[in-house]
Amino acid sequence: MSFTYFLKRAAFAALALAALMTSAFFLVRLTGDPVNLYLPVDASEAARDAMRIRLGLDRSLMAQFFDWAWDILSLDFGMSLWHNRPAMDVVLEALPNTLALGAIALALAFTAAIVMGSIAAVNAGGWIDRGVNVLSQAAASVPDFWLGLMGVLLFAVTFRILPTSGFGGPIYWVLPVACLFARPFGTLVQIVRGSMIEALNATFVRTARAKGARDGRVTFVHALRNALLPAVTVTGDLAAQFAGGGGVVEVVFGFPGIGKLLIDGILKRDFAIVQASIFAVAVVIFVINILVDMLYASIDPRVRIE
Amino acid sequence: MKKITGIHALSMGLAISLAAGVAIPARAAPDKLTVVVTDEPKSLDPCDTDLSGNSRILHNNITEALVNLSPKDGSVVPSLATSWRQVDSLTWEFKLRQGVTFHDGKAFDANAVIAALKRAQDPALACEVGLATLKGLKLNAEAVNPTTLLIRTDVVEPILPNKLSALDIGSPATPGDTKTRNPAGTGPYKLVAWTPGQSVGLVAYEGYWGDKPAIPNATIIWRAESAVRAAMVDTGEAQIAYEIAPQDGTTGQDHAFPNAETSLLRIDAQIAPLNDKRVREALNLAIDRDGLIGTIFHKDAQKAMQVVPPSVFGFNPDIPVWTYDPEKAKSLLAAAKADGVPVDKEIIIYGRIGIYPNSSESLEAIQAMLADAGFNARLEMLETSPWLKRLLKPWNKDRPPSILQTQIDNAEGDAVFTLPNRFTTDGNQSTITDAGLDKLITDGSKATGDERKKLFQQAFRYIAVDAVNIAPLFHMVTIARVAKNVNYTPDVQAGNEIKLKSISYR
Repeated sequence: MSFTYFLKRAAFAALALAALMTSAFFLVRLTGDPVNLYLPVDASEAARDAMRIRLGLDRSLMAQFFDWAWDILSLDFGMSLWHNRPAMDVVLEALPNTLALGAIALALAFTAAIVMGSIAAVNAGGWIDRGVNVLSQAAASVPDFWLGLMGVLLFAVTFRILPTSGFGGPIYWVLPVACLFARPFGTLVQIVRGSMIEALNATFVRTARAKGARDGRVTFVHALRNALLPAVTVTGDLAAQFAGGGGVVEVVFGFPGIGKLLIDGILKRDFAIVQASIFAVAVVIFVINILVDMLYASIDPRVRIE
Repeated sequence: MKKITGIHALSMGLAISLAAGVAIPARAAPDKLTVVVTDEPKSLDPCDTDLSGNSRILHNNITEALVNLSPKDGSVVPSLATSWRQVDSLTWEFKLRQGVTFHDGKAFDANAVIAALKRAQDPALACEVGLATLKGLKLNAEAVNPTTLLIRTDVVEPILPNKLSALDIGSPATPGDTKTRNPAGTGPYKLVAWTPGQSVGLVAYEGYWGDKPAIPNATIIWRAESAVRAAMVDTGEAQIAYEIAPQDGTTGQDHAFPNAETSLLRIDAQIAPLNDKRVREALNLAIDRDGLIGTIFHKDAQKAMQVVPPSVFGFNPDIPVWTYDPEKAKSLLAAAKADGVPVDKEIIIYGRIGIYPNSSESLEAIQAMLADAGFNARLEMLETSPWLKRLLKPWNKDRPPSILQTQIDNAEGDAVFTLPNRFTTDGNQSTITDAGLDKLITDGSKATGDERKKLFQQAFRYIAVDAVNIAPLFHMVTIARVAKNVNYTPDVQAGNEIKLKSISYR
């Protein structure tokens, strides 16, 4: 990957980020005045006006926008109204948790999907294929919320081998990871299976077999490498989704991630948290896209990043 | 290949942790208590105790007020003040407890109270207590000596001690220009750590002036899901869980307690057809309250006839509860229609998502009941921010006819905390403009004793029977799940106050 390529991507990303942040600024303000949420319902109108003045909400939207834009250029995202702390500090506490949770769930889902999808493709039409198909369809369609509560009921309440929720050592990650694992696993198994069946019927595989290559080598080296590209593309999209947090899963398990923070920020009209979260997630998505491009080039020698 | 090796290592690590089962306590250690609530506190500043999410951690655990309200009868009882008296109509004298120290080592005295009062009234800090409890009441305090304090009010305030029960006293070292996240109070527990997004840790304060807590370490955590909170008590991860939904709270460990909240529908009596009293009466007659109890609302909820529970000073026990009579509702609507009232006009029912358990389901049922009686009602469930816009003035003059789902809390025990903002002409949530009612409420607020009670009772009767701009539903209950090995019975204050000091293991 050339440095020029990186600079070009960074420039496009900066433009997209500017547009995104501008939209975020106006959209969150369309959701309403936060003052009523932050003062007791019995507070007087004078107290409400005083808070509006203190937060600068009494000024015109454009005046607020230019001040805000100037602050953003110096990476000052302001104070969180709810947390009463710098918004980016709050976001940077939550973001690593979400990234770790998403990365583990996605890595496991990707690995398992390659194995299961390949096995299904090799046995296409057989009972193993049908079994994998049912399993993957179920995994892809089960709601996170339901899966989470069932996991709590089964593994925490009935078997007592996992904690219901919370944040701490590896054991606290098992249920959230399992919940986040299900949907990408189901989706990726379908994709790997389909592209593997196509690859196994391709002429280069026939050539490999004709040259005497063993079944395992044909399947997992020749066919799989070609079948991986669509799975990598979808995994990149899923990774971008996960960067925004596993909202429902984080809420159910009390997992302090960016998804829960963002949901709370929107509900509480905590503009600074919403904007800082969007900024941080957008930067992560930019990095993920670059990594996916690099992975493409390493899997498929025909792809050249320039 | 490296990645796959990493994943295998991680999987093995998880498997080993699982096999060992190291991190799951079957039962809590006897010196530790974990309480699970719904939300993280917004603030742990001593001047923000008006919000229940803050006060249940702070009040009487970390920080204390001059006085407390008795959960039995709402009477004012000593706390940091040992006695008090009204010197004249605008002046009160408080005698302060001696030998009390704050968690940071500072002495509790009259100057500490003066500093806390100033802080609570500082408009720049926008303290919850100043805005919601004092509401513009000016307090000027003067130290006669370290243990005697005079507090002067700018207007007659007969229930000043009640109001001061909500004003916690923080250390004089608390910053005056900003809110604190590290409160130092005089309470039985001191703050160890507030880990954002995860927990608040407390430890017993060795220098506490009163009875020492039975359990030295307490942790408050929060989970949004009722089913998860309930499960945490079953697994021993928590010993007490609050706000369990009725459908989850069906075991012997689930205790329902009155929470000082009253659910109701506020009728916008200024807009046709709801500006006709017959229509408002029909609306009340069309609701089958008996059908809602034990199904959508908890079986221990009490049918309400007014907007405060019986524990509140000024409650009127003589107002009849509405009986379900859809036929009479239909005939009232027909009579109104005959007189040209546009009863077919669509009425919007504004609900708030999660205002109490099953809030949406309750309105769906009520919408069906209203339809059966001949109303044309549409349900709109809102999240808190747009709901507040409908609750609070100013309102658009051309707004559609509406009824609004709400819930009124009165843990302070006096009708003055409920009536002025909701039922006087100037009230920021009031749909009533009535000089007679204004006078009843204003006079009641200034009166004392039996006269005060009589005026407030008249006001409640006028609202429920003459004005009919509400459809009272229920005096509500909250469910707490308590572990079998824990001694704890939640009382009427438990929604705002977790009395950690009184909790022990069997």
